[in-house]
Formats: sequence, C-alpha cells, structure tokens
Amino acid sequence: MILKKENVQNLLDELSKSALVFVPKEVDGVLKFAPFKSADEMTLDIINTTLPPKDLLFPQTQKMYRYGIDADGKMYVDPSDDSAEQVVFGIRTCDMQSIVCMDDVFLTKGFVDEFYQAKRDKLLTVAIGCNKVAETCFCDSMGLDPQNSPTADIQLLEGDDAYSVVAQTEKGEKALESWKPFLSEGSVEVPKIECALKVDMTGVKDKLDRMFDHPIWEELSAKCLACGTCTYVCPTCHCFDISQENKMKDGVRFRCWDSCMFSEYTQMAGDHNPRPTKKERLRNRFMHKLCFFEDRYGKTLCVGCGRCVEKCPVSVDITCLIDQIGEFDV
Amino acid sequence: MSKIEISHGCAFGEKPLIPQICNIIGIVEETSDVKTFRIQTPEGKKPFECRPGQLGMLSAMFTGESMFCVADQGDDYIEFTVKRVGMVTEELHSLSVGAQVGVRGPYGNWFPTESCKGRNMVFVAGGIGLAPVRAFLSYTLKHREDYGTITLVYSASNKDDLVFKKELFEVWPNEPDTHVNVSVYHACDGWEGEVCYTAPFLEKLGISTENAAAVLCGGPSLYRTCSEGLRKLGFADEDIITTLEMRMKCGVGKCGRCNIGGKFICLDGPVFTLAELAGLPSDV
Repeated sequence: MILKKENVQNLLDELSKSALVFVPKEVDGVLKFAPFKSADEMTLDIINTTLPPKDLLFPQTQKMYRYGIDADGKMYVDPSDDSAEQVVFGIRTCDMQSIVCMDDVFLTKGFVDEFYQAKRDKLLTVAIGCNKVAETCFCDSMGLDPQNSPTADIQLLEGDDAYSVVAQTEKGEKALESWKPFLSEGSVEVPKIECALKVDMTGVKDKLDRMFDHPIWEELSAKCLACGTCTYVCPTCHCFDISQENKMKDGVRFRCWDSCMFSEYTQMAGDHNPRPTKKERLRNRFMHKLCFFEDRYGKTLCVGCGRCVEKCPVSVDITCLIDQIGEFDV
Repeated sequence: MSKIEISHGCAFGEKPLIPQICNIIGIVEETSDVKTFRIQTPEGKKPFECRPGQLGMLSAMFTGESMFCVADQGDDYIEFTVKRVGMVTEELHSLSVGAQVGVRGPYGNWFPTESCKGRNMVFVAGGIGLAPVRAFLSYTLKHREDYGTITLVYSASNKDDLVFKKELFEVWPNEPDTHVNVSVYHACDGWEGEVCYTAPFLEKLGISTENAAAVLCGGPSLYRTCSEGLRKLGFADEDIITTLEMRMKCGVGKCGRCNIGGKFICLDGPVFTLAELAGLPSDV
C-alpha cells in the first residue's frame, strides 16, 4: 500500500482525533518532535531532528507523584499518570533503535518502570526510512539500516510523491485500519543510500574491556567542557535525577534528565566522589555506550545518529574514538 | 568448605518508584550524628520483607530520598541507621517518634547466608559501616547453630563514634562463641580498650582463616587497608564479602549512576565478594 504525500495532512488530522501526534518540526528555532498542527509546518524531509524524540517516553521532567499532609495530619502519596495515546510520525531508524535500548533499561531486569511503561504502551511508532544522510550519520556502522526500522509499528519508505506503508507489528496492523481511507494501491521507488561516515566496530568492545586504565581517557577528557550537551541530545542517554518541589503542605516529586558528565552526578553526601574528575566521567560515558551496556543488554548503546558529533562544542567525537580504539594494540 | 555463592540481579518488584508512608516507632541515638530509626506501616506491619544486606529507600517526604541498608529487622518493623551528613539525613534526624516517612524497597541482593552456613564468621567494620554488617551479624545470631565462631572487629574514630554500643558491649559479647573486638583511632579519657587502626588491629588479633568467611564494610580507606589486611591473614578474595555504596536515585538499576562496569550496585549488588569485584572495572 502507499500513502500519497497529498494525503498526509488528512491522515494526521484523522490520527489527531484519538491521539497526540508528534512530527518533526521547528519550534523556536529547534528541530524536534512536536505536536502536529498542519503539514506545512512539518519537516519530514530533514535528515534528523536536533533533539531526539526520547522525551515522548521519558520526559525531560516528569511528575511521579504528589505528596502532602491531609486535613487529619496524615501524609499521603498520590501517583501521577500523564500518559496518553501518542503517535510518533517520522521517526528514523537511529531513534527507533534508541527506543529499543530504553525498553531494555526501563522494562527489564526485575523492575518495570511504571511511568515509562504507561507511556510506552500508548505509543504508536511510524518510521520513515532515510533517503538522505547527514555527514555525521553513521547508523549503518552500528548495525542499523537507515531505511528499515524493524521494531517500528509501521514503516514508511519515501518515494517521489508517496510513501510505501507496511505494518510490522500487531499494533501497527491494528492502527492501519484507520489509515485505510488515505491509502491506495501502488509502489514507490526508493533510492539506495548508505552513510558517508563509517566506523569499524570490530573488536572495539573487546579492546575496551582491557582499556579501563588506558591513557586515552585522560587525553580525551582534557578538552571536555563537561557541558552535558552530548547527553541531552543523545537519544539513548536515560540517566535521571529524582527531586521535589514543595508548596506549603504538599509537593511534587519528579524525575528529570541528569547527565553523567556532571560532577554532582555521583557526588555522595560526605563528599566522596567515585568519579572525581572529567576523566572518570567521560570514560564512564563512552564505556557505557560501547562496552558496559553490551555486557548488560547485549547491544551497543550508540545508534549512530551523530547528534553528539555535531553538537559537541569542542569536538569530542565518538567516531574518532572508535577509530582510535581500532588502531590500538591492547 | 563450599564456595560462597552470592545472588546477583535477584531483586524484583512492581511500581518500584512509589513510596509507602510509614511511621517512625522508635529512635535510638547511637552517637551525636547517628540515629537508628525503627519503621512500621500505619497498620502496625513490616514495610517490606527483606533479607540481610538488602536496601531500602527512606524518604523525608518534603526533602528527598536516600538509600540505606536495612540495619536490622523484626517481625513487624525494619530499622535504618542513619548518619547525619547531608540534607535528607539532617531532616530525618530532626524527626521524632510518630513522624511519617516514605519507604520503598527492598532493593539489591543480600549476604550469602546460605553458603556461609557452617563457617566461622569474621565481621570487620568501621564507623557507620557496622550498620549493614549488623544485618548479617544479627541474622547469624538468630540462627546461631548454623554458624561457627563469630568474631567482630570494629573500630571508630573515637569512643563517641562507636555505634550500637548496647549490642557491642552488653548483648553480643554474651552470645555463645562470639568475640567482639573494638578499637578506636584516637585515645581519650574513659576509653581503656585498644587504640589502633582497623587493619593493624586485625593483624594483631591474628584471626584464623580456617573455615572462615570475612564480611567487610567501611569507608574507602578502611575498605582498602582491611581488604589488604584480611589477605595478609590468609583470606582468599573468594572468602571476603563486602557491601558497596554509591549515590543512588532510583534503586532499581535505571537512573544510571551507581554502576561499576555493567553492574549496578543497587540492583546487582550491593553485596559482592572481592573476587567478583576484581573482575569489574571499578570507579568505587
């Protein structure tokens, strides 16, 4: 089946009746996934958004519960659930893979994160294959295919004036029922693409296992500003802090994105800090991406989106690091 | 002597991030900056079932949450021993019996109570590090027939910083085949016992490693010197058990900060043998 580009507006209007539809668009000068209003504002043709769509599942700040003292002086805890049906339309392979990684973190290993699950259960993912790549894109080096997101509910491939439409999950098939009026028979021609930026991941994890005390961490961290930009634009970074705000007799406990690049991240009461300098923090970030996550979940925590490569103000570049590791004889 | 087997990644639960409101039903002032809080649900029940060594997130609701080892437990309560070092602990210390706090847990793994059966137990702790050790020590005393000789080696900076004084000087020394050795780092009036750092104290005591397991908990320098001290006595890394601490927020292996390599202290730990830790890249 195909979805003609002229029908996208009508389809998204229809989907908006029962869900919040997020599309790539520019808001206050920043490209990100934001609620759909009209097809004119969409930037489906951009290569990648500046900010990843992770906040649809893992908001930058998320209320967990209210607490307070009632009229009888008893303390209460009132859990929040702000989850609603959501559709992400136009997610790319890299960001789709980041959701797979976040699913591992939040939904496995003994504890299911109730706040993430509520949102995840209500999210429909509609991927669009990339026909263009940015010079910082390297997802195919990370084992991904820029034109195929196998875990997306619905996969679109872009032709000249239409998208091909394939449901890949039960949820996707069910969703396609409401798409029917906007679909037609046909096929599209999709150009074959590959990323220009290449890295070779062969043996990188094994080498990193032996590189905890390697001098590269000292060298690489020398220029790091510890600004945390890499962690905020990263689609897979999922660390969070828990804090609260009080008003008189009640308050809200919330979680919010945190960054492993900040010294306070591991600073303990009593002043001991197991990662006291940028060296330990940067090492932990890269080792987590390329080594520790694989130990734990069997996959790499870098999806090759290139955002950190593009946005780091001092060019701490994960692809250069991977190249360097490849050359080391360790 | 069977190998010490520690379970990892064995904690599980539902709605892990939401605390239940409980009451403080007892407070023991251990030192000028350490208090033990006895916690119970408003219905008079134990907040959760847990094994020695497991963790709980204790919350001064209007200030924040902090993770503590459950220091002891009874049929209808759990206890946390809290040193006043930061904002949350400062607030907790200001509370009185009857005050309401948030509690969630249990988190993490537990001491290898099963595979240590039949062994002589050597507990080594410094300062507030006795709190997690106490959970295991207390368990061995409750199941006295399952364990051999029990030896505690405990130190604190000075006399006033010794926690659990009642247990140290009145209760535990009177338990069968139980030897309590206490030292302080700085002499003062009224202290007639040992004045000695923990590691040399260990050596001086010449503790036998025969059929023994050691349990170690203390600050970074005590951890370093005493793990070396225990090795000097002849303990193998496989027979030295420790419990680690790092800053924690979620307690369930998701918020990211308490990792050592691919393991999270809150979920896979806090209890490890030194042999297991030797295989992990460690920032701790």
